[in-house]
Amino acid sequence: MSKPRFNPDDPFLFESLLGEDDRLIMETARDYAQSQLEPRALRGNQDEIFDMDIPREMGELGLLGSTLPSRYGGVEASQTAYGLVAREMERVDSGYRSFCSVQSSLVMFPIHEFGTEEQRDRFLPRLATGELIGCFGLTEPDHGSDPGSMTTTALRTTDGWVLNGAKMWITNSPIADVAVVWAKAKENKTDPGVIRGFLVEKGMEGFSAPKTHNKMSLRASITGEIVLEDCFVPDENVFPDIQGLRGPFSCLNSARYGIVWGALGAAEDCYRRARQYVGERKQFGYPLASMQLVQTKLANMVTAITQMQLLALRLGQLKDEGLLHPTMVSLAKRNNCGRALEVARTARDMLGGNGITGEYRVIHHMVNLESVNTYEGTYDIHGLIVGRELTGIQSFVPRGNDV
Amino acid sequence: MVLNAYDASAVEEALVLRDQFGGHINLLLVGPQSAAETIRKALAMGADSATHLVYEASSDLDSGAISEILAAELSGAEYDVVLCGKQAQDTDAGLTGGMLAERLGLPYTTNAVGLEIDGGQIVVTRQGDSGRETILLPTPCLVTCSNDMNDPRIPSLKGIMASKKKPISSRPVESAPDNATTMVGFVEPPQRPAVTMIDGTDEAEAVERLVRELKNTSKVLQ
Repeated sequence: MSKPRFNPDDPFLFESLLGEDDRLIMETARDYAQSQLEPRALRGNQDEIFDMDIPREMGELGLLGSTLPSRYGGVEASQTAYGLVAREMERVDSGYRSFCSVQSSLVMFPIHEFGTEEQRDRFLPRLATGELIGCFGLTEPDHGSDPGSMTTTALRTTDGWVLNGAKMWITNSPIADVAVVWAKAKENKTDPGVIRGFLVEKGMEGFSAPKTHNKMSLRASITGEIVLEDCFVPDENVFPDIQGLRGPFSCLNSARYGIVWGALGAAEDCYRRARQYVGERKQFGYPLASMQLVQTKLANMVTAITQMQLLALRLGQLKDEGLLHPTMVSLAKRNNCGRALEVARTARDMLGGNGITGEYRVIHHMVNLESVNTYEGTYDIHGLIVGRELTGIQSFVPRGNDV
Repeated sequence: MVLNAYDASAVEEALVLRDQFGGHINLLLVGPQSAAETIRKALAMGADSATHLVYEASSDLDSGAISEILAAELSGAEYDVVLCGKQAQDTDAGLTGGMLAERLGLPYTTNAVGLEIDGGQIVVTRQGDSGRETILLPTPCLVTCSNDMNDPRIPSLKGIMASKKKPISSRPVESAPDNATTMVGFVEPPQRPAVTMIDGTDEAEAVERLVRELKNTSKVLQ
């Protein structure tokens, strides 16, 4: 038996815990991301470019909606495999992972989970190939962490619904062919309404999706609004049964699960680049790597990454076994985004002035992770979800301090 | 376990030919059980079936012994072309293909960068010393492939899942042939000296410093 070796790029032999299918899928995602996405990343981030060939490329490899059955264009990949794909996309840029997450978890997942058979057949195979692009509209200008207070409405009319309202911070919306929009469905104007899901398609009258400009984060991913002005959506484009926040929240749980893995990929890339840099850069006659402060920073990074890896892997196993509780996802999303952001900020610091330039790429990860830490449930909101689970008391709405 | 880059190019070329002319691609591997993952990868790329001759200590065998095991498997088998990587990525030996051709009595050529079929003949573009040679071979024949031949495809997730259902005949090599060669010495490569990074902010100054380093420190320049 040869002496065990410590591998700085996989210190706890994390990848040896993966099954063969999952590892092969990871390698495909990694080969694609490193050969096709990495060369686009610097320009994509600096000049706000999302190459429109990317959806088709991802679709050809089967990276979109991979967990779905084959008749809808998936391959019934494991949840771990889905996570590993997210990790490889975000190792390059959180924006590319965001595209994948939205398409797979926020659009294909709800159509498969809540849609009619006709809706599944109409949309899923073409979303899987990347021929169609989807987006997900829940957040509104005045309703972020509190989506239950949304003001977008769908009023009953003959053979369908008339939608009015605005959604904000919608990944992919300016390029989307179909939007999963959540709105308060009302049988009549005085009805308080119940949240339902609508498939709004490009070209429907009253639907527009202007682009959001001047984002300083996720610049390689296109973000926009969804504006609905008396937009008629026929009955065949409405999810038939799902009502209330359970619909959008189950989508978010699926996407948040992918983020747990994605944030890990970004952190790993920052750590790898920082470790390489401090080995090469000399100051005061010695490599930075020989300095005590630098070594403990590296130690903290690799410790955080090891925790993130094992947490993500366990979460995937639980999801595959059907034992996943949403609070587990909240805990892991909060932890991995928070830790990844710390790792990225530390890497940025370790690279000194060079860490400020795009070429070294760590500042891209750092500013991207600011969004990732905020979207799909902020760090604090996920803390409150875990807190509610631990105490049985919700604290989203402050009690005893009514103003 | 990593699929040898030269073998990956051989697989890619076989896939292109099969898709163009029809046929069947069988993969043949001598190696430990853990190398089965490289077969999965090539099946995921699109190969049809595989034969895994399992031998745990295959890295102790020399090219002569490996080629003998392969030749025993292929003698009597029907095939048009045997495609091999031109060498192993780790050992760089590059002997197995030629030895296998000799044992099977096949015409062969090496370092192929292109391969076509023309009227039942195999047309190989070979990277030679001073240029590219075009070589005709009758079938059956053996060709060793360069990684400059093509850009091996990335297996799709569909291919990965489908590869689970493809037939793999796996059986042990009961007794391996003796090595004809014996390694009698081994020296680890010398440690590389530390890399010196030259600040490139001022290009003229950086070039001057580089020349100075090459003359005085590494003595590459006189």
